Amino acid sequence: MVEVSMASAPAERKSFWSKLGPSNKKVFPWVLMAPTLIILVGIGIYPFLYALNIASQNIILSKPYIPRFDVGLYQYQLLMHDPEFWKALRVTLLFTIEAVFIEFWLGLGLALLFQRSIRGASVMRIFILIPMILPPLVAALIWRYMFFPGAGLVTHYVGGLSEWLGFGQIPFLSDPTLALQTLIFVDVWEWTPFMFLMLSAGLASIPRQPYEAAEIDGASAWRVFWTITMPLLRPAILIAVVIRTMDAFRTFELIVVMTRGGPGNATTTLNVLLTKTGLEFFDASKAAALSLLMMMVIIVMSFVFIRVFRSKTEVAE
Amino acid sequence: MSFQDLYKIESPAAPHKPKNWWVYVIILLVCFVNFMPYLWIVMTGLMDREAATASTPTWFFKPTFEAFHFLIVEKGIMYNFMNSTIVAVASTFFSVVIGMFCAYALARYDFTGRDDVSFWVLTNRMMPPVAILLPIFITFQTLKLLDTRLGLIILYTAMQLPFVVWMLTGYFRDIPKRYEESAMVDGDTWFQAFRKVTLPLMMPSITATSIFVMILSWNEFAFATFLTSIEAKTMPPSIMAYSIGASIQWNILGAAVILITAPLVLFVLIMQRQLISGLSQGVVKE
Repeated sequence: MVEVSMASAPAERKSFWSKLGPSNKKVFPWVLMAPTLIILVGIGIYPFLYALNIASQNIILSKPYIPRFDVGLYQYQLLMHDPEFWKALRVTLLFTIEAVFIEFWLGLGLALLFQRSIRGASVMRIFILIPMILPPLVAALIWRYMFFPGAGLVTHYVGGLSEWLGFGQIPFLSDPTLALQTLIFVDVWEWTPFMFLMLSAGLASIPRQPYEAAEIDGASAWRVFWTITMPLLRPAILIAVVIRTMDAFRTFELIVVMTRGGPGNATTTLNVLLTKTGLEFFDASKAAALSLLMMMVIIVMSFVFIRVFRSKTEVAE
Repeated sequence: MSFQDLYKIESPAAPHKPKNWWVYVIILLVCFVNFMPYLWIVMTGLMDREAATASTPTWFFKPTFEAFHFLIVEKGIMYNFMNSTIVAVASTFFSVVIGMFCAYALARYDFTGRDDVSFWVLTNRMMPPVAILLPIFITFQTLKLLDTRLGLIILYTAMQLPFVVWMLTGYFRDIPKRYEESAMVDGDTWFQAFRKVTLPLMMPSITATSIFVMILSWNEFAFATFLTSIEAKTMPPSIMAYSIGASIQWNILGAAVILITAPLVLFVLIMQRQLISGLSQGVVKE
């Protein structure tokens, strides 16, 4: 374990260290947090300021001969009037909200099923957790393989069935509407296990007494679920949903590997648009402005979610 | 009480009631859907090139280690495997040890700006990787950290800190303060009390969080691709480089998937009990 020098400082140096030591309830928490905060400021704040700076200019990396100006908020203004931006924002929100919503309810349902006595539960749990263990890149490649025309398992069997029924091949990845739903399906496949795991843990930490009391009162299973399970599960739900929303919002590998934002721009999320702007068109300033806008959206989303959730929790208590 | 104990409460050793059959149907269906794609790519990894590129799914074939030979002998992928192991283990260790104290402070002390610090820590996980790629690249170039394992370890440690802090804060809150306090009344310093009383109680949660962080670090792709080239290249970018040329070579991808997932699958298989009980530890409170 790491030695914490401030806490176990020898007595002779006490004059200085004791001011920072555990007895000082105002300063000591900051001493404990210092390493984390220093690292996060180093890795987090600098890129942020850098992006802020770049976004106020007109740098296009592939055209270094263009004279550089301080353009103020022009890049943001440009994005605000860009229909591509609004389209990508809509796709991102649809993807994030739909995927997290489905993952939450499926994960919760599964976690509740595992509350029952099930033979071989630990083996089955491993099978269920497999998608979460895979690198997102690998999961995306596997599903590209599954949807590969001809030899892919899904295209061969599901598509074959649909052809046999006379509907023709299903355009899983080539139809604009269906492509986004296919991506959501793969995201749900990949991350429901995460929800399942977090919510299983939450369920396991709920005390038994309220349930026993409800049983004596003869409350229905539905009522028990909404008045006992859900309120007591709130802390687990909060962390699972916030983390998952943040990650779904910036899903990258999945979309780039499976559709590259296509067909057309039907699955171009903000993150894919950002990658195209920055790494294909080398429009560094626009990319920086876009990334800051993305960050604002996700911060507002998480903040509102946490606030709503916390206030409800307090009411429940 | 752990997750396992819950079963015992609900299920006396009595034989299973047949009315539960639909639960098994659903769970087995989910197992099938979740496991089948993985099984399929693993099978493909044992095929030769011909079987892997057949125009219909091939179920019966003579397994070969052709793809493994290509990856291990010709491409030397075990070097990347070693890089991945070092980077994942080290960054997990550092992020958990450093984040643990921050989580402790957030859970134990009531100071001004606590909620703001907690939320700010979380916002560090919100920046899209592509957005911070360029500034990180430039910083690494200046500090000579490009294509080094040390660079990746520092970056991953920072990336995982918000997750560690958020996970552990909740668990620290669930451990009653008076255990520590009584240890300190008995003459222990704060750190002794922390090490002897709080840490052992937290161990299951710390283990579970470490498993999560390990999975995330082992699997990280975007930064590994841009910040490493030869010396420090980890598994995910190697898989991309070796299996995708003009077209995807599915059998090589399959073999690579076996190599990259085997340690994690084994690890989670062994640690599953700790994972579940650690995550559900909030039961120390009475």
